[in-house]
Amino acid sequence: MQSILAVDDSASMRQMVAFTLKSAGYNVVEAVDGQDAYEKSNGRDFDLVLTDQNMPRMDGISLTKKLRDNPKFKTTPILILTTESSDQMKQAGRSAGATGWLVKPFDPAKLIEVIKKVVK
Amino acid sequence: MGEMSSEGSQLSAGIDLSQFYQVFFEEAGENLDRMEKLLLDLDIESADDEEMNAIFRCAHSIKGGAATFGFKDVAELTHQMETLLDKLRRHELVPTSAMVDVLLQSGDALRAQLARHQNGDGAELDTTELLFNIRAMSAGEAPVIAAPAAAPASAARAPVAASVLAEPAPAKPGARVLELRVGPMDNPEEANNVVDLFKEITDLGTIEPLDNGMPADGMRRFKVCTTSTDSDLLDLLTFHVAREQVALLPLGDGYGFHHGAPGAPEAEQADPGYGFFEDAPGSPTDASAPASSTEVATLSDAPKTAPKAAAPKAEKPAAALEASTLRVSVEKVDQLINLVGELVITQAMLAQNSQGMDPALYQQLAAGLADLDRNTRDLQESVMSIRMIPMSMVFSRFPRMLRDLASKLGKKVDFVTVGEATELDKGLVEKITDPLTHLVRNSCDHGIESPADRVAKGKPETGTITLSASHQGGSIVIEVRDDGRGLSRDKLLKKARERGIHAPDSMSDQEVWSLIFAPGFSTADVVTDVSGRGVGMDVVKKNITALGGTVDIDSAEGYGMRVSVRLPLTLAIMDGMSIGVGEEVYILPLSSVVESFQVQPDMVKTIGGSGRVVEVRDEYMPVLEMERVFNVPRFDFEHVSGIMVVVEAEGGRIALLVDELLGQQQVVVKNLEANYRKVNDVSGATIMGDGRVALILDVGSLVRRSRH
Repeated sequence: MQSILAVDDSASMRQMVAFTLKSAGYNVVEAVDGQDAYEKSNGRDFDLVLTDQNMPRMDGISLTKKLRDNPKFKTTPILILTTESSDQMKQAGRSAGATGWLVKPFDPAKLIEVIKKVVK
Repeated sequence: MGEMSSEGSQLSAGIDLSQFYQVFFEEAGENLDRMEKLLLDLDIESADDEEMNAIFRCAHSIKGGAATFGFKDVAELTHQMETLLDKLRRHELVPTSAMVDVLLQSGDALRAQLARHQNGDGAELDTTELLFNIRAMSAGEAPVIAAPAAAPASAARAPVAASVLAEPAPAKPGARVLELRVGPMDNPEEANNVVDLFKEITDLGTIEPLDNGMPADGMRRFKVCTTSTDSDLLDLLTFHVAREQVALLPLGDGYGFHHGAPGAPEAEQADPGYGFFEDAPGSPTDASAPASSTEVATLSDAPKTAPKAAAPKAEKPAAALEASTLRVSVEKVDQLINLVGELVITQAMLAQNSQGMDPALYQQLAAGLADLDRNTRDLQESVMSIRMIPMSMVFSRFPRMLRDLASKLGKKVDFVTVGEATELDKGLVEKITDPLTHLVRNSCDHGIESPADRVAKGKPETGTITLSASHQGGSIVIEVRDDGRGLSRDKLLKKARERGIHAPDSMSDQEVWSLIFAPGFSTADVVTDVSGRGVGMDVVKKNITALGGTVDIDSAEGYGMRVSVRLPLTLAIMDGMSIGVGEEVYILPLSSVVESFQVQPDMVKTIGGSGRVVEVRDEYMPVLEMERVFNVPRFDFEHVSGIMVVVEAEGGRIALLVDELLGQQQVVVKNLEANYRKVNDVSGATIMGDGRVALILDVGSLVRRSRH
């Protein structure tokens, strides 16, 4: 079964994402912020990292950079959730090495649609 | 079309989002609390980046959830707040006190909106003015109280933008779907003019907002479906917006992949808006070698130490708290406490019944019972502590309340709290909040003088109100202190005499201060609507006494006043003194017992034919014969009650005539009203070690009874 790391400081968003992905047959590991996510990435493999951008301690962009520095996650798909698709956000994501982005708000159907494109 | 409510079940991919609503509401509530506290603590002169970021995140987090779960009004308001907060955290704007006020008001509005969604009732909130003010501030203007005539039109238009949709008709043959971007603009709502264009010109096509009517970075995005060419469209659009502010693009899907990014999917077709990646690392077409992995070994170790050291201490508890707390319903906890209470009673019965047992014969049983005794005590303590919550829960409402109150009264007040971590039973917390609120408002309203008066007296312009909590013995002591004008002995005496209350000059200061607790007593010349009307110190005292507590006042005229409230740590367990009347056992709250003594018949005198009094050290006290009060049957007609127990409540003392004093113990209080009905003079019941029920007496009620 494929494993997804879902990172968001909002419990309700985490629950929605985790429930959606689990219902679609994925294994989900939740983290409350970038720091927590990074610690959880130790000793684990993920087929996808889905992370919010604005979080305390370490934001999505910083997490992406950190993960990319780790050879284990060099090619792992990383998607950053943002609430606007401004070019600036996209640029920052791209520079950090993110695979792509997903605009909030999204519904479960949209989430599954996107996931299927990056998780084989 | 306007308000697309999500209140009904919303299925997407077969998932009902409403199952997440409750968590969202609780989380939003916490975010609002945090945001309010941060705003109140914010030092405008030297706002810290991390503070501004934290406030931003609170609004941002609520917005994310609100938008996801379809609470549009909440999403809209938080979006506007976020815009302002974003500019503040980027130092594009300087924080002002007016901004803090508007943000605090917005927080209030959000609470109301969320409550409405959560409870499913209530009128929709009109946030037009609030939104207008926030937008004005974001644009660097000062807010106006009454929106000028021209503004409401555009201010009203923006929130309604979501409803100004041309019906998305099915795409006509040859129709293209595009993204129209307008901006960056100072007044992004002007972009709504382009929506009108599609209404005015038939066959131009359809348009709907992609951004829920909420601009991002001053940009507005729309989805346009049209058979017209780009250049025709642009010609029309430039009637309303400048050419350089319009862009027509292929429509994105709300997500996308970076060209050449690791892990990005291959392009499926030539449709741009999806990534494409030849030679991207990780993609199947990648011919280049993967990045060098020489440092694998060391890298996997490094994360463990570095991030931990770097993590700022303040933030760490937040994530740790996530993992180590549990949300439990209050009913479950109460049920647990009830069951433990029953266990304690049963264990007490076992202990009592085994008293006559020969320990040598029943060694193991005796040892087991001793263990049970200890374990039960520990269990009880542990379970009671579950309901204990820190006083900070009570204190948290005051900063905001005082800020609003002080500003309304034109006073300057600092609010200091001490002992926020002191714990109190949840049931008590709920009941102590109103009396404390009254005391604090009192201090602000009547105690603290106006800045001018204070300076004239040589005091600092800003007064201080201190709220403190601490454990002392088996009680919790809560104090409200202020450095205001204090109580005036003369004024109080005068007022008392005017009301016909016996107030000789020989009264001690303590007794004079206690005059305040007399019903209807208020020395304020004008009863302000803030703290005076209908709620007096007498009600405060009554409420506190009902909780088994006491209130004391201390004051120094010109310097300030202190009100001390002492409460038992919990309502469920009480220290009691058991008394015997006939075959019955009654329990008196230990805190209400003053003294007891053996009585001789000649000490009791009859007054007025029916009332009996007893002389105690030159004072005559009403006597209540418990046998008469409760109609206790007497089987031994020669027996005469011989013990007086003096109790005090509601400012009065009476002597209870009983047969014997049986002892002192902790009793588990059982609610009589819930199990039977309200009984006069009785506040509860308990089950004793021998299995019999003992009624817990309501001393206040007995004192009142003696008064007529």
